[in-house]
Amino acid sequence: MASWIPVAGLAFVLIVLAVKAWPAVVVNGFGFIKGSQWLPGNTYGSVVHTHGVAHPSGSSYGAWPLIAGTLETSLIAVVIALPISLGTAFALTERMPGWLSRPLGFLVEILAGLPSVVIGLWGVLEVGPFLAHHVYPLVADHVPNVGPFRYFKGPVGYGEGLLTSGLILGLMIVPIIASTTRDLFLQVPALPKEGAEALGLTDAEVARRVTIPWVRSGIIGATVLGLGRALGETMAVAMISGSVLGKVSPTIYGTMTTIAATIVSQLDSAATDGTGFAIATLAEAGLILAAIALAVNLCARYIVSRSGRLAAPVGRG
Amino acid sequence: MQEPVGTKTTTSAVDPVLARLDPDRDRPADAMATEALSLSFGATRVLSDVTMRARQGTITALIGPTGSGKSTFLRTLNRMNDKVPGFAHVGDVTLYGESIWGPRQDLLTIRRRVGMLFQRPNPFPMSIRDNVVAGVRAHGIARGEQLDVVAETRLREVGLWDAVKDRLKESPYRLSGGQQQLLCLARALAVGPEVLLLDEPTSALDPLSTDAVERLLRTMTPALTLIVVTHNLGQARRLSDSTMFFFNGRLVEHGDTEQVFSEPREADTARYVNGLMG
Repeated sequence: MASWIPVAGLAFVLIVLAVKAWPAVVVNGFGFIKGSQWLPGNTYGSVVHTHGVAHPSGSSYGAWPLIAGTLETSLIAVVIALPISLGTAFALTERMPGWLSRPLGFLVEILAGLPSVVIGLWGVLEVGPFLAHHVYPLVADHVPNVGPFRYFKGPVGYGEGLLTSGLILGLMIVPIIASTTRDLFLQVPALPKEGAEALGLTDAEVARRVTIPWVRSGIIGATVLGLGRALGETMAVAMISGSVLGKVSPTIYGTMTTIAATIVSQLDSAATDGTGFAIATLAEAGLILAAIALAVNLCARYIVSRSGRLAAPVGRG
Repeated sequence: MQEPVGTKTTTSAVDPVLARLDPDRDRPADAMATEALSLSFGATRVLSDVTMRARQGTITALIGPTGSGKSTFLRTLNRMNDKVPGFAHVGDVTLYGESIWGPRQDLLTIRRRVGMLFQRPNPFPMSIRDNVVAGVRAHGIARGEQLDVVAETRLREVGLWDAVKDRLKESPYRLSGGQQQLLCLARALAVGPEVLLLDEPTSALDPLSTDAVERLLRTMTPALTLIVVTHNLGQARRLSDSTMFFFNGRLVEHGDTEQVFSEPREADTARYVNGLMG
């Protein structure tokens, strides 16, 4: 019985969100996903009706920059965090004596509990400016100006934007992925690892060929957990992204925003819309975020079920 | 220390001219040997002063009660104990006359030359075919389509080919225990070892699979030198040319298997092989 409580809770949240978002869904239509403009309209002017829904004249919303920003920052975060996390877990389980790995592992878990607003503050005051002054120019000046590399060209700004957001998000999800992966690595039985060592494989090859594949589905699960956190992370991104509505950043350094950051930064002004249409639009954006998170989870389940073909049987070996 | 037993087939006895043409004429006759080897973990000494020789192409059985140090001894021969905290050794182990801890020795190469088969089958979490070629790939011995040839050759060698040829891309964990162990044997053989260490290789297998593995092992000499830890005295007697009896961290007796079993020199050996101990 108790197992239905989370399901009922989730259904309740989604239904309320959908009901709140419905007027916006009707008016914005499919253009909401493709469009880039974010115009609340004249909230003190005349009210117009579209498909029977009241909204301020001149209001026009498109969420594509938010969706793109959400996906881009999360992708950067996972690309950064996954290798660091696997390396951390590997170092903690294979390379360090117990007296060192236990406190360090504890430290990693503590990092997961750092409030995101604190990390955001650190990111916007220290990390961003440092990267913009000392690191980004090196990259931007030295990548070739061809094809996909152009994405890494252009003005690097002042440290607020897509890349900084992605990097900080990556740092935030490292503890989640690393601590889960460490626990997984500890479960891998010694016998297959010894077999690989006895065959003359290097430690790195043992990790790549035996240890990581042995717990592959668990690592995918941990990564999705981290990805979910990155997709939904609000405060840190709201502080670091530059909070620029209305366009997708043309380079990896540009200012931008995400769905979650927009919802929190626009909520105040949306409340001034007497028709409630701006709030409905934010609810619609929230619905899209929930859909993305759900889709990511379903994809992960599919990958896990596929990778299970060659995976090791539980409790054996 | 008595003379270890082996096949006495040196070409010099046949024809001195032929002997000089033998490319292996300077190769030591002993594949593996230890010299006053003592092993300890921290303050605990587990094995003292073992001197032995394993002549190329012979099968040596290591017998003795649990805790006698024979498994530790075996795992030292391919340096598996090196990374165990507190492990220390005195004396030396040589592979064809060269110390396995020598400054010019590469650990990964030692392990390629001295293979190992474990107590229980330990296939890797990859397809059957990838299991066979895992070591070959890591050592860069073959690549691309050659790997398929290696996989087929080795699987045929261990008699597993017909059973798995239609499911090379499938998980090895659905094979029976005996088939898994044969797969691990194919994997160990694929990198071309000179010595194969076997740590109770059939203890987890049923009698039929045990028989299959034993028959296979007997066909591998003289190209390969085998050193087998076993609790199965019948197996030691059936399989090996010479037998080493370990007791309380010492090598009590080493001799021709027939002699060790029928006319043991030491009282402890006699008690053990007659089932009065262990």
